Amino acid sequence: MLLRLPDPAAALRRLLAWLLLAAAGLLALAPTAHAQKLQPVPPLASRVTDNTGTLSAEQKTALEQRLAAFEQATGSQVAVLLVQTTAPEDIAAYANRVANAWKIGRKTIGDGLLLLVAKRDRKVRIEVAKALEGAVPDLAAKEVIDEAITPAFRRNDYAGGLSAALDKLETRIRAEALPAPAAQPDAAQASIDGDERTRSPQGFQWFDLAVFLFLAVPVLSSLLRRVLGRPLGAVAGGVAVGLLAFVFTLSLVMAGIAALAALVFGLLARTGPLGGVLPGSFGGLGNRGGGGWSSHDSGGFSSGGGGFRSGGGGDFGGGGASGDW
Amino acid sequence: MRRLFLLLIATLALSGCGYNDFQRLDEQTKSAWSEVLNQYQRRADLIPNIVATVKGQANFEQDTLTKVVEARAKATSIQVTPETLNDPQAFERFQQAQGQLTGALSRLLAVSENYPTLQANQGFRDLRVQLEGTENRITVARNRYIQAVQEYNVKARSFPTNLTAKVFGYAPKPSFTVQNEAQISVPPTVDFGAEKK
Repeated sequence: MLLRLPDPAAALRRLLAWLLLAAAGLLALAPTAHAQKLQPVPPLASRVTDNTGTLSAEQKTALEQRLAAFEQATGSQVAVLLVQTTAPEDIAAYANRVANAWKIGRKTIGDGLLLLVAKRDRKVRIEVAKALEGAVPDLAAKEVIDEAITPAFRRNDYAGGLSAALDKLETRIRAEALPAPAAQPDAAQASIDGDERTRSPQGFQWFDLAVFLFLAVPVLSSLLRRVLGRPLGAVAGGVAVGLLAFVFTLSLVMAGIAALAALVFGLLARTGPLGGVLPGSFGGLGNRGGGGWSSHDSGGFSSGGGGFRSGGGGDFGGGGASGDW
Repeated sequence: MRRLFLLLIATLALSGCGYNDFQRLDEQTKSAWSEVLNQYQRRADLIPNIVATVKGQANFEQDTLTKVVEARAKATSIQVTPETLNDPQAFERFQQAQGQLTGALSRLLAVSENYPTLQANQGFRDLRVQLEGTENRITVARNRYIQAVQEYNVKARSFPTNLTAKVFGYAPKPSFTVQNEAQISVPPTVDFGAEKK
């Protein structure tokens, strides 16, 4: 079908391809906007990230397994990170940056906690998401550091200190009345909507969309139908509207609705012969456009401690406490 | 055909003029600002407790203590309304008052190092932890405000959305500057770093 296209259609397809590329490029750029000479945020591959080589493989696995079990029991996500240094930032600033980049904590609840050790700086910090500030207030975090971490770390017992600290922290989080964990966390959904805080509220998108549908779609689809002919014009109109809607609202759902509406309009306006085959192929395109969003791992949830995926809901406002040893 | 094109362009212009973006960004800066105020208030609420604890310490430097009390009084006396955001001078006054309070507090904590009984006082240590947490929260809230304002100001200044901003009166908003950043955030970091020694 594509081979028999007249020239204008080929040009149009090229244009659409460029639009798609541009949209994908925008998406790819968005999260990495702030890169400076600061310490990089390590990728979140597992619950325990050790960049210092302090923990043995067994110790790391043991900590990961207990944290995985804890998440299965309560839903709260706790991560441990060991780095050499946080310079030039102080540990509080770095911890906050890492925690807000990882966004550990369930999507709708945001119950995450990060235990950060800067080994060469001899500093440690417990960074608490806003949702857990009630369970682990600053004073409690300080107490955990003073009573569990500092003494053990002074004896060079890092795994023991971390384990003792996690004991205390888990007890505190368990005591908080948080919603029970869902049977199967909807991770795909979470990663798609992950960046919602910087995005607009729903109402604005609906408004834009309405303007779009009422004015632009008839114009666009009649134009395209004139150039490309009936069925193809309707499809091209749908694709174009979908892409434009996506560029404006940065929302796949919106784009999909807009594209579908445009397609239906294009077909109905001159009662095209094509049936319900097209909308299906359409949704496929819309989905592919946003593939760049779901971040790192593809491995689902395994209790073994491997494939860990952030819930994406943690909002860290600077709560927690720091200490040294 | 021509009319159709014109209509299309008009439609795109309508969505592209950025009016809705200004609504969103304006609200975003306001809520970020509320969080900044919230955390400054939290600090102001902590100070009476700190002052009371320190007063219990025999022959504590009265001068340092008075300065904290005065700076707090000054900082809390400044009326902050949403309009503060649209008034660079009021914003500046607010920022200076809070900066003075930060300075006075960090001096207080530095001086308290000379009093071992105060350092051993559990109540005082707890208050220090809470103060440190509050300063961290202030930093985070300020950073978020700066980011929100940055996004807003870029919209308000760049073409063509600056035309929309002019028509509807969305002026660029003031933000925390680098100079004030240094003035406000450096002293406490030094003190808190030496906290446990």
